[in-house]
Amino acid sequence: MARCVETASPILMHHLLHMSVFSQSFSPCGKFLAAGNNYGEIALFSLSAALGPDANELSQKPILTFTAHEGPVFSLLSTDSHLLSAGNGEISAWSWAELIKKCLCALPPSLRSSLEIPEINAMALNPADNSLAVGGGDNNVHIMDLENGAFKSVLQGHTDYIHCLSVRERASEVLSGGEDGAVRIWDTRTSQCVHCVEVYKYETCARPQHGKWISCLTTDSDWMLCGGGPSLSLWHLRSMSPTSVFPLSGCQRQATFYQDMILTVGEGQCVSHCLMGGEVKAQIPCTPHSINTLAINTNSTEHRVLTVGGSSDHIDVFTNLSYKAFSLRF
Amino acid sequence: MREFKSKAFWRAVLAELVGMTLFIFLSITTAIGNSNNTAPDQEVKVALAFGLAIATLAQSLGHISGAHLNPAVTLGMLVSCQISAFKALMYIVAQMLGSALASGIVYGVRPDGNAALGVNALSGVTPGQGVGIELLATFQLVLCVIAVTDKRRRDVTGSAPLAIGLSVCLGHLAAASAVSALAGRTSKPLINAFNQITGNEAEKKTTLDQSLRGVLGDQIVEQKASCDEYLALIYISIEAVTEGICSATTPFLLLGDVLDCLPLDQCDKIFSFVEENVSTWKSSTFYSAGKNYLLRMCNDLLRRLSKSQNTVFCGRIQLFLARLFPLSEKSGLNLQSQFNLENITVFNKNEQESTLGQKHTEEKEDGMEVEEGEMGEEEVPATCSIPIDYNLYRKFWTLQDYFRNPLQCYEKFSWMTFLKYSDETLAVFKSFKLDDMQASKRKLEELRTSAGEHVYFAKFLTSEKLMDLQLSDSNFRRHILLQYLILFQYLKGQVKFKSSNCILNDDQTAWIEETTKLVHQLLKEIPPEGEKFSAMVEHILNTEENWNGWKNEGCPSFVKERVVDDKPKRPVRKRQAPEDFLGKGPDRKLFMGNDELTRLWNLHADNMEACKSDDREFMPSLDEFFAEAIEQADPTNMVEDEYKVVRNSNYGWRALRLLSRRSPHFFQPTNQKFKSLADYLDSMVSKLAKELPKDIPSEEIKTGEEDDDDNGDNLLKESNDSPSMQSKMVSNQQMDDVAAKLGAKWKTLAGQLEMKASELREIETDSEDVDMQAKLLLVAWQDREGTQATVENLVSALNAASFTQIADNLSEA
Repeated sequence: MARCVETASPILMHHLLHMSVFSQSFSPCGKFLAAGNNYGEIALFSLSAALGPDANELSQKPILTFTAHEGPVFSLLSTDSHLLSAGNGEISAWSWAELIKKCLCALPPSLRSSLEIPEINAMALNPADNSLAVGGGDNNVHIMDLENGAFKSVLQGHTDYIHCLSVRERASEVLSGGEDGAVRIWDTRTSQCVHCVEVYKYETCARPQHGKWISCLTTDSDWMLCGGGPSLSLWHLRSMSPTSVFPLSGCQRQATFYQDMILTVGEGQCVSHCLMGGEVKAQIPCTPHSINTLAINTNSTEHRVLTVGGSSDHIDVFTNLSYKAFSLRF
Repeated sequence: MREFKSKAFWRAVLAELVGMTLFIFLSITTAIGNSNNTAPDQEVKVALAFGLAIATLAQSLGHISGAHLNPAVTLGMLVSCQISAFKALMYIVAQMLGSALASGIVYGVRPDGNAALGVNALSGVTPGQGVGIELLATFQLVLCVIAVTDKRRRDVTGSAPLAIGLSVCLGHLAAASAVSALAGRTSKPLINAFNQITGNEAEKKTTLDQSLRGVLGDQIVEQKASCDEYLALIYISIEAVTEGICSATTPFLLLGDVLDCLPLDQCDKIFSFVEENVSTWKSSTFYSAGKNYLLRMCNDLLRRLSKSQNTVFCGRIQLFLARLFPLSEKSGLNLQSQFNLENITVFNKNEQESTLGQKHTEEKEDGMEVEEGEMGEEEVPATCSIPIDYNLYRKFWTLQDYFRNPLQCYEKFSWMTFLKYSDETLAVFKSFKLDDMQASKRKLEELRTSAGEHVYFAKFLTSEKLMDLQLSDSNFRRHILLQYLILFQYLKGQVKFKSSNCILNDDQTAWIEETTKLVHQLLKEIPPEGEKFSAMVEHILNTEENWNGWKNEGCPSFVKERVVDDKPKRPVRKRQAPEDFLGKGPDRKLFMGNDELTRLWNLHADNMEACKSDDREFMPSLDEFFAEAIEQADPTNMVEDEYKVVRNSNYGWRALRLLSRRSPHFFQPTNQKFKSLADYLDSMVSKLAKELPKDIPSEEIKTGEEDDDDNGDNLLKESNDSPSMQSKMVSNQQMDDVAAKLGAKWKTLAGQLEMKASELREIETDSEDVDMQAKLLLVAWQDREGTQATVENLVSALNAASFTQIADNLSEA
């Protein structure tokens, strides 16, 4: 940081100081990490360089930074060949092959589809039928066929904008959580809402002081994790009942199942390790004060790291889940 | 078969059984009885015991069975057709039964630690040789028996049993000495030879030393001899040293030679011998000559042994050294507090040689081979499958270099590095909390039983792939944290050989303080039983501090020399000398620190004497006390029994006490039996009533023993009573007189009367006239002292203020 302060202009400093990382995605090969921030920039980091034995300060800087959208990049997603980025009302697709070659000149997105959606908060890929679910400010979930880029269907039901999406592959269902506090489960085949769970109405997880919005949603076959205004809670989807509620103070922004644990981030300067039973096993300190995004690189075992981004220009990298190894910096 | 039915036959068999039992019991008991015997004495003793036992038993049982007491003899008799085959068979059976029985008895009564019961063993001879010796010895016995008991002989004079007994004795002596020629460990022949050879004493010694070493060398080279033979030779050399025919270092040289040349398993045996003889080595003859040899020998051995494999042997050697040397022995001590700088922990510093997964396997293998030669157990994985935090890896292992050589911490630049790396490492430890292994009790049990409590690694394994596992290993983490604590103790501690520029500045001290706390906190968090571990570590480090202090003081001996002091020391005065707190003035007034106490203390010049004065005598006299009782006892007064004072238990108790002090009657034996205290008192009162009218002063009714004391008391009383005026109060007239005489000099007296300055000022303001002022002073004094304002006190004050004239006038008045 010291070096940056010395050399950077005041504007750049300001730029860095107010930066938030909203989304990240690993490349299909697992050697690269793309991260999107609130300025609409996407930065590409080389994990293999940063994890290498001869890593230095420079290898923790992005190999490529480009402005992808006008507004913040709320969602990034990798398909087999492309990086999908969702900006304000538009989704862009960038070819990973070209990104890696750093061909900035040939960078116009290979696909750009404009939607009449004010902001796109979440995207989820459904590999079963190669479709993309998109949710955002218009309270609806749009399903797009990635083969031809056409929108197949619209899932209507939320009364406020959508924060998060998750795909339950086995049952070909899409889950969505929104500002209205409801988690809706949709059947993609019939485009109907199968279930609607209003989490804030359950006493065990309700936290009226934080609101009723749902900001994180993850499924793992029969299980669902959801949290936000209400406490982070683990739900059994067959019985539609909360089995455990995690005693975490802040609002959680993203959670994921990892091995026999649940990793979750949100308000607070730490990554929380939770057990399925509802205990918080450990809270691992990290750099950003508030964390927006967490990702585990499962694409490559030798680069299997956990990366965490939030209200800072630092993206913390955990080689071992229990301590922060180093930070990537914008 | 006829004899089978005869009574005589069975008697003979029984006699053989009893005889054998007795014989074996006697002889084995002798053989194992005393473990202190050395070889030749033992031989003679055992041989004699066998012989005499045979002689006695042959004498007692010979007429019944012939007292064969040995299957060999029975066999001899059978061969010479002196007994029937059936009888011989029964005899042998009886002998065996008898000896088994006797062995059983001896087993029951044997001393501790002897389970072998004196079983013969070959030492120094081959089995073939043994058979030969036994053959001849037994032959001479049977020959003797047959010859002596030959009925045709007329020339046998003397006791046949004794002859047989002596024959047995001879056989044992011969066989046993043949067996243990070398094992006998006698140096007698050597001494004889030594004395016979003429020549310089020193030269002869050197020759013997050399020859002993030569013999040993030959034995070792031949590789035929067993450990016992080496030990026998060493034993001979020890004896030779005690006899003064070879130099004291020889046994140690021989031991050293043997240990150097033998494989470790045999060294073990030799070392057992060394251990057994600690007392020998510690004796004055050997200690000074051999301690360095022994130390070197032990160190050589320790160097050969593996620290992780031969832990028991290493421990034995250490224990032996601890027993051999006094506690304050410095030879094993790192006196100059040097560090083992050779203990370098190697890790992958070089980026090119590291083992990143992307690189080709060939490169990788090269790197592994070169860098991590010591990692024998770790097989080289083909691919690197996990992400490695090289940043932490390097910093973490760099820290080992500081633990290896703490002096680096005093250099500014390396300290900064150390600080940075330590902070990062400890932050990782702090972030990476270890799981509690005690999650399940069953697992814990497994751990206890299988893995064992003790975890030891001689050297750190530094592969980067192990880093993750190491971080999650509680024992590894404890090791590292302990290294921190040890380092900090060194940095903070006073070490004699630390150079003067090795001083921590305030920042460093603060950081160390803080980090020590953090390390302890981390230790406490490490399961299992982190709290206990942390407390234990703290305790051990404190103890270490004491050792450090001891080393700084130059390792003083722990044996405290008894101070030999001819003159008894004057007892140290614990209290202040009286001069220190006694008043300096002529009246030796004591100052007690409080006005009231001072006044009370100074009522009399000698308080002990004052206590003896009559005023302090509170014991009533007999007549006073018993006056009422006597009056009541008088029948003319017609007092009812129950109203008499003697019936009052309180009065009775006091009466008894008084009687014991004052009345001789109390001690006079009486044959009267009293039912109650009241009855007794009644009789005493009547006795007193008879005496008192004669007007005998109660003080004089004393037992003989008290007479001496009384005289003293009386003398004192006289001396105290004489100045009758002294207890008088100062009258107004006297005060006027004194005041007039004092005049302007009253202030001098005021000091002696302990008047306060404020009071003096008051007196001065009250009156202009000096006489009046003097009068006021005396009045003020009188007011303050009250009843103590006596003439005596005033006189002493006047004397102190050197108004002796006035004082004399006052006392005369």
